[in-house]
Amino acid sequence: MMKKGPLGQRTFEAIEAYLIGTMSDTEREQFEAELAHDPVLRTELELQRENMLAVELGQMRQTLGRIMDDAQADAATAPPRWGTWLRHAAIIALPITLAIWWMWRPAPHERLFAAHFTADPGLPVTMSTPPGSNALIHDPLFNDAMVAYKLGHMAEARTKWASLLPARPHNDTLRFFIANAALVEGRTTEALPLLRTVAADNASTFRAKARWFLFLALLHAGDRAALDSLHLEDDPVYGERVRAIRAALK
Amino acid sequence: MDLLRCNSPGVLRTLYTQHFPTVRAHVLKNNGTLSDAEDLFQEAMAVLWLRVKDGTLRPGSDAGAFLFRVARNKWLDHLRSAGHRHMRVVPVEHMPEEADEETSATEERIQRLTEVYAHMDERCRDVLGRFYFERQDLATIAAAMGVEEESIRTIKYRCMMKLRAFHRHIDGHDDTA
Repeated sequence: MMKKGPLGQRTFEAIEAYLIGTMSDTEREQFEAELAHDPVLRTELELQRENMLAVELGQMRQTLGRIMDDAQADAATAPPRWGTWLRHAAIIALPITLAIWWMWRPAPHERLFAAHFTADPGLPVTMSTPPGSNALIHDPLFNDAMVAYKLGHMAEARTKWASLLPARPHNDTLRFFIANAALVEGRTTEALPLLRTVAADNASTFRAKARWFLFLALLHAGDRAALDSLHLEDDPVYGERVRAIRAALK
Repeated sequence: MDLLRCNSPGVLRTLYTQHFPTVRAHVLKNNGTLSDAEDLFQEAMAVLWLRVKDGTLRPGSDAGAFLFRVARNKWLDHLRSAGHRHMRVVPVEHMPEEADEETSATEERIQRLTEVYAHMDERCRDVLGRFYFERQDLATIAAAMGVEEESIRTIKYRCMMKLRAFHRHIDGHDDTA
């Protein structure tokens, strides 16, 4: 049985919160009691679960498609195949390479970092500056750096944003994006103090994301003590991933 | 498997890098093309992903073996079709046979989910994908798209209602989709 007509936004969002696990314990208990007595709500919940899965599956296929395209492009630009003598040399070198790899292979926490870290997508770049505006997002240098960041030129982005810091030493946006660029470059030690400041800033709109990236930076650095003291398990957006990482670390 | 449940792109990349070569080798040995191998791998990944999401994968399952088994069976089905009956399939050694009735049910479900996804426009795919797949919060999506957070909330609701209407339509409840 399905509800006829439109589904109200409040009911939709309640079902959504239940499915993605962002309800408090009390809300969940109330919602489950309601579910037990309301077959229409149960049907709506199943339908919404399927629609969310449809979105995730479609996106998973797109992401995998991009990964496959990238791999094909890399293969196309790879140098020509080695000759026979080089293959023989490779056979000899293989055990040595394996031994070196075994000694230097990434630690589990580094592999988890690589599996979970995706840099923040960045902010939209404004094409013009309103007269008299001195907002950071209208600063041409800030936007130049944002373009470099989106193109993957992290060193350039970082340098340009860092040059704006002396004039705005407490700016959370600058600190957040410099830290993100540094993380992409593997400069975890540089990213950590910046992320710590933003993560501790209750007024910052980047606070929640900074806490997640701080978690990842600490993971990359292998700082288990600091990682254990950063409680993000119940975070509505990042909690599931944090729990998965903690479980994998055990 | 927990990381795959969280839609981690890094895990998708690792699974592709580690297990696609085996699927490709099998398909190329059996009269297929690189493009066939890629399509098969995509389909096998969809089955694995959905089984992980549902929690219906057997405990201790090996992702590589699962992917290969699904891909191999699908390719076998393809070869058994009318145009390929004369072909002999190169046997696979050391690959345990495992009855898997659930896989065909999963494939039917994937077909239905794909049909629903195909019904969405680009804007809805972008917003819903960021929210449900990438798990971005509303503020992040709003910042990335240059709109207010409340607009994203409304767009998300409307897009999901379009999907609901489409589902009602294909289930025969309504004909307005």
